[in-house]
Amino acid sequence: MKILVKQAKIVDPSSPFNGQTVPVFIENGIIRQIGNDAVSADQVIDLPGLHLSPGWTDLFAQFGDPGLEYKETIESGAAAAAAGGFTDVVVIPNTKPVVHNKAAVEYLVQKSRSLPVNVHPMGAVTREAEGRELAEMYDMRASGAIVFGDGLHPIQSAGLLVKALQYIKAFDGLLIQVPEDRSINPHGLMNEGIVSTRLGLPGKPVLAEELIVARDIELAAYAGSRLHFTGISAGVSLELIRKARAKGNTLISCSVTPAHLFFSDEDLQEYDTNLKVNPPFRTPADRKALQQAITDGTIDTIASHHLPHEYDSKVVEFEYAKSGMTSLETVYAVLRTALPGVSQEKWVELLSVNPAKLIGLPAKTIREGEPASLTLFQPDVQWTVGTASLRSRSRNTPFLGRTLTGKVAGIIHKNQVVLNQA
Amino acid sequence: MSLSTKHLLGIRDLTRDDIALYLNTARHFKEVLQRPVKKVPSLRDVTIVNLFYENSTRTRISFELAEKRLSADTINFTASGSSVSKGETLLDTVNNILSMKVDMVVMRHSASGAPHFLAKHIPAAIVNAGDGINEHPTQALLDALSISEKMGGLEGVKVAIIGDILHSRVALSNIYLLTKMGAKVTVCGPPTLIPRYIRESLGVEVSYNLRETLEWCDVANVLRIQLERQNQVLFSSLREYNLAYGISRRMLEEIKKDIVIMHPGPINRGVELDSDVADSGQSIILQQVENGVAVRMAVLYLLSSQNPTA
Repeated sequence: MKILVKQAKIVDPSSPFNGQTVPVFIENGIIRQIGNDAVSADQVIDLPGLHLSPGWTDLFAQFGDPGLEYKETIESGAAAAAAGGFTDVVVIPNTKPVVHNKAAVEYLVQKSRSLPVNVHPMGAVTREAEGRELAEMYDMRASGAIVFGDGLHPIQSAGLLVKALQYIKAFDGLLIQVPEDRSINPHGLMNEGIVSTRLGLPGKPVLAEELIVARDIELAAYAGSRLHFTGISAGVSLELIRKARAKGNTLISCSVTPAHLFFSDEDLQEYDTNLKVNPPFRTPADRKALQQAITDGTIDTIASHHLPHEYDSKVVEFEYAKSGMTSLETVYAVLRTALPGVSQEKWVELLSVNPAKLIGLPAKTIREGEPASLTLFQPDVQWTVGTASLRSRSRNTPFLGRTLTGKVAGIIHKNQVVLNQA
Repeated sequence: MSLSTKHLLGIRDLTRDDIALYLNTARHFKEVLQRPVKKVPSLRDVTIVNLFYENSTRTRISFELAEKRLSADTINFTASGSSVSKGETLLDTVNNILSMKVDMVVMRHSASGAPHFLAKHIPAAIVNAGDGINEHPTQALLDALSISEKMGGLEGVKVAIIGDILHSRVALSNIYLLTKMGAKVTVCGPPTLIPRYIRESLGVEVSYNLRETLEWCDVANVLRIQLERQNQVLFSSLREYNLAYGISRRMLEEIKKDIVIMHPGPINRGVELDSDVADSGQSIILQQVENGVAVRMAVLYLLSSQNPTA
């Protein structure tokens, strides 16, 4: 198949064409020519203000196969990822059964083989992701699990976590942890603070995150093994990470979700169940600290925390609603809208370069002769999030009906083109 | 005069005028209740469902009586032995009831924000009869009516709220109401039972010392220790709670000041209040209960005239 991207601004620090607006010609999944549009193609992509970057990678998404297909199948999840500009997605092990052995990893790898998006299984660190006994991580690694973590159930025992970190060091593994101490206000439903007190909702203090960040930094340093905190929600966590780095700790990395850059606890006044997430939205001051950490480099990557839920799970009392939102399709638009001043180069670093490096994917670059793994996006196009356009099986997003700036046009990957409607 | 809200979800949403209107209307109904014929036809042909997802004796009876005095038709629903045990959602249950032409919903629920959730999805007027650890607005109104009868108003009155503030919807509604109406509020209890951000969120003082608090206040509103909410270690034993925060006759005599004692009920005698305090002349606990009916009549009456469909 021959594809011509008629005009696109290249956003790729590793490409000699970085910053240039050029035509890109792709043949059978390989970038053949850059700078020449006098070619015959089967498909011509010509969109206003189009930008092109190496394909994006998400480090934390939930698809429901096996067991929770009513929330998301691998196909619908991959379609949502492609619509959001992601060529690579790490899926968390919290399915039924849990992805904690070779068979479960191989199932995901096999089932996603022909999809336009690479689905990378995150192997559970412990059996059943229950935080008690180590799972067979060598075996899972050999079958295609590229990172490890218990997903929605952060590992609570320090003793177990340090062993897990040592264990995966043998293959330079990365452990991904949501920083949350579950013994502190386990029934908390939102950030503990002024707003939770006024709303009469049980609070979950920043302390629960801070303690795990502080503790796990030390555990990673002791084990000499790489640890990634995902979904950082509070300014104090960023301070701890900065301090660790200042002391020479290069093992720690962290990500933030787009929604945490957009919302704060003040948005929960109406008990909107679509804003129930974990870690919870913190104060406006925390949101500001997260936004600053995007520009100052403290935050390494964006993580979607794509958690699709069936309709009924959100049309209930706040306390009974499930946590999380479907998010892959709105990642870029939410980032652009929350932080319009941040450069496209920075977003590409956070969405493509850094996450791929963290999980050891081969470097992607926009050069002639390289495989085409590309994300197409239009930074200045406005669009309104509507149910009709969403590819995810679930609709649990607070952005429905909102007009956002920054639109993903689609991806070109594995010799397939997936385009959103203009 | 009319209310600024369509429902009574919480005191948080009310203006001073709303509160004054509720209280004045309640005074009027209280006078009605002294008459030989206590029943008025105000809500004739209005149907009200009392939806109790949590146990309640006094609040449910009080609402029911208020509804009957106003000539409303009432139906009662309690969670046990109902469709809830068959897994029906709140919204389904309420929509089913409303399709039988019910006009107003009085609801108690264990989840904070449950009536707010309902208000977004159904057309009927909703009265919050207590939601989780959030609000219990009719209790705050009846407490305010009781305080103002005793103290001649609310402005400048020093009210101490004592006990489990963290899990108490009575505390939160009382704080909203009293601070809006110009009273001064101090909350007092063990630090594990006081929300950490209460000072900056709600504009109240915090004390961990019962004796000092009693010496300061004009009115002590003593809360029930919510044994059923203690899913965490928040104090060591009821005995120790009583030693540190239980109010005894002797302590009241020592402070040499005739403070008013209130309690929303039901009392744990010998825990937060000793019997000789609860039953003393300083206690207005039974007047609170009496005022409850008048306040709930006022709430139902005002909201039904606010919602012409009702």
